[in-house]
Amino acid sequence: MKPSLRILIETAALVLISAVLFVGFFHVNNWVFSGLEYRHGVNWVFLPAGFRVILVLIMGLPASIGIMLGTWFIDITGSETSPYVMTLLNGVVSGFTPWLVMKVLDQGERFGLHLQELTTLKLMEFTLIYAACNAVLHQLSWWLRDHNSINLWVDLWPMFIGDAVGALLMLYAFKGLLGLLKSPLPNSKIR
Amino acid sequence: MQHNNSPLASAYLRFLQLARVVQALPEGMEMDANERALLEAVVLRWHENSPMTVREAIGLSQLGSPATLHKRITRLREKDMLSTLNQDGDRRAKFLIPTPRTLEYFGHLGQSMQQVQQNLAA
Repeated sequence: MKPSLRILIETAALVLISAVLFVGFFHVNNWVFSGLEYRHGVNWVFLPAGFRVILVLIMGLPASIGIMLGTWFIDITGSETSPYVMTLLNGVVSGFTPWLVMKVLDQGERFGLHLQELTTLKLMEFTLIYAACNAVLHQLSWWLRDHNSINLWVDLWPMFIGDAVGALLMLYAFKGLLGLLKSPLPNSKIR
Repeated sequence: MQHNNSPLASAYLRFLQLARVVQALPEGMEMDANERALLEAVVLRWHENSPMTVREAIGLSQLGSPATLHKRITRLREKDMLSTLNQDGDRRAKFLIPTPRTLEYFGHLGQSMQQVQQNLAA
């Protein structure tokens, strides 16, 4: 198989994995935390936010594309119909905000080529900045579309808190899962 | 060195690194007594203008075995209490140096001691 074709297939697989995981956890979140919904599309605990952090850090751009496709799928198949522009914008913001934040914070390879320079502090920094940017960009895009039903300064907070809490819960769940598996992981910090 | 261009391989390597960081996520950022003892030994040497290398630090047998000390250094680095520095011309020796957070921590300890002395004198 040609290397370029192999790369293409692997990238497509990563996009698909990201989209499926994101959509899956979106529905799990709706099922588990339906009582904590602030309004349609905004939840005080939003677990898929954690998947955005984890997937984008691990897979980079293919994860962003997968999340964007997953968001489009959720919007199109959801009970509430949205204008196509909103669906399009939602997907782009949902998928590319974490990737853009990562690119900005990774200036000068602060995270390292394969995250070898990533530390817990940098991970927390990334998670919180991403949650803030995601909330601002989502609310801004909704507000631009509909000035009347969106109160930007009020609606921003549930989304920020939901994304930050959801991301932290997912990261700690990941930590708990790794603790249970107790698999030996390489430690490349000190050579 | 040749880099692997496979997106799956790259994703797996990044997964391993993220798993390492996630495993070090704090339950609290506080240090235990063993970490504090190692940090003090490292910072003392740094203060004496003779920073300790990683090799020297893992050889501090009174504080633990090399494997234990290696893990402890990693934890202190994850807590942003230790940083490493390579000397120009010698990439092999890696020196352990305190971070601004460590200096702030020792600064607070110094202030607390001063406060206690003032309270005792008053």
